[in-house]
Amino acid sequence: METPGGKGHPVDLLVEAFRQGKPGAFEAIVRAHQGRVYSFCARMLPDREDALDAAQEVFLSAWRNLKGFRGEAALSTWLLRIAANRCLNRIRRRKSLSEHEAPWPEPAGEEGEGPIFQPVGSKVDYPDRIAENREMGEILAEALSRLDPGSRWMVLLSDVEGFSYEEIAALAEVPVGTVKSRLHRARMALRRMLSPVA
Amino acid sequence: MDMMDCTQARDRLSEYQDGALDAVAAEALAVHMRGCGECAGCAGSLLAVRELLRGLPPDPAPPELLARVLAAVEAEDRDARADGAPGGADATRPFLSRFRIPLEAAAAVLLFASIYWYQRAEPPMIRPPSSTMAAKEEATKARAGRSPAPVSRPVPKTAKEEAPVAATTGKARTWTAGDLPAAPAIRASSDSERIVPVAPPAEPGTKGDTAAGAPAFEERRRPVAGGSPDSLPPRVFAAPPSRLFRPLPYGREIMLNVAPEDRGGAEERIAAAALRLGGIVERIERGPPGAAPSAAGTVRVILPESAATRFLEEMDRIGTIPPEGKPAATDLPAGPRPGTVAYAVRIRVR
Repeated sequence: METPGGKGHPVDLLVEAFRQGKPGAFEAIVRAHQGRVYSFCARMLPDREDALDAAQEVFLSAWRNLKGFRGEAALSTWLLRIAANRCLNRIRRRKSLSEHEAPWPEPAGEEGEGPIFQPVGSKVDYPDRIAENREMGEILAEALSRLDPGSRWMVLLSDVEGFSYEEIAALAEVPVGTVKSRLHRARMALRRMLSPVA
Repeated sequence: MDMMDCTQARDRLSEYQDGALDAVAAEALAVHMRGCGECAGCAGSLLAVRELLRGLPPDPAPPELLARVLAAVEAEDRDARADGAPGGADATRPFLSRFRIPLEAAAAVLLFASIYWYQRAEPPMIRPPSSTMAAKEEATKARAGRSPAPVSRPVPKTAKEEAPVAATTGKARTWTAGDLPAAPAIRASSDSERIVPVAPPAEPGTKGDTAAGAPAFEERRRPVAGGSPDSLPPRVFAAPPSRLFRPLPYGREIMLNVAPEDRGGAEERIAAAALRLGGIVERIERGPPGAAPSAAGTVRVILPESAATRFLEEMDRIGTIPPEGKPAATDLPAGPRPGTVAYAVRIRVR
């Protein structure tokens, strides 16, 4: 129904129904988007209760401001923006940056010398198998949690949610070039973290 | 096409995979990877990581999330309705934030209003000193004979307040000195006189401004005997600005007309004359760079007082000083030191 980046999205009928005051419209909106919003919050905030609180705040904020939602972006994009702000605020407020971030050891030598994540199809088709494996999801979530939160939310929005560089730059209020370089560094770090798995 | 090294290639892998590189850079990177197995492997593993991220399934939201959200919304909606506002986004806001005008603007309006009312308010009455209380009471008694309505405040505030008093008396109220608060007036001391510009004492025999009809300096200091107070010049109680803060001008300008053929080197000749007479040349101003040779120039010199007359004679030899610009022999311009004179000789081609 909606493109992830929010371009060319159709009119959200649920939003229209909510604006018209139809009963059950907001509940339908929550049902439609709670998985995405909660997933994002859970990947940003390692504590489950924290993630639940953040997701609740996102929907509550949406309920307060949905009448002012102008539909310039898709509703899911708008909700994820709120979620990103809420999660970053929580991380800043609780100074959990240093608590949650355990720096991943850098490879001893140059990047090419250390163990690297094997490309798909090399040796055995391990990544394909792992992708289907639930364990791989957990490993990936663990690797994500070790990223700096300032880069983590960019990776989540870009590579998981499909936001464009420009959308993330607008959300982060930084130049597009900064988003590109931070994303690249974060992806390379993830690649290094996941290489022992392969 | 530029060759690309491994560092450059790996720095651009993300953009390459996103299709954000321009065609030339993308081709260069592709060429590099065809010949570099490590970079190609790096690109492959990076792509695999991104595919894993893209395929990351959403965590199922816990069932309590929906219940908590709906409960929170219901609670806010209930509170809003209890406040009498209809439900909706605005209704759920805190009371003050429902107003479109921010609190800062309201505070500014309040401040403006207080200043306005403060300025409209009557200034506080000065309580008369005890020594003048008796005179004040007498004045009040005398006023009571004219006006049946006791006036608690001597100075009317507005015309509206004046109107009832005038209506009761049948005539416009006239205010006398006794109606005013008997605050001690600020008066100048007996030694104070009007401060007038200090004029130099006139030379004996010179008319000065007396010839123009104005009284002489000493005469102006004396009040006019028998004249009305209005004819006296108004007293000025402010002190003049200190002379310490004013520059001390010295010197006098001399306009020196020189013939066009004598213009060249005129500054040097004036300076030489000053030096010959034991003076110094303070500054030579030749005008802006690139100015025409006939442009005006100024030479500022400082001379011993005794050499002033001879310097003027020298100037007469270099050019012509018009009569109106020629200082009298006795009118020596002040120099920076006692016993010195200063001239600014302005050269004009005529």
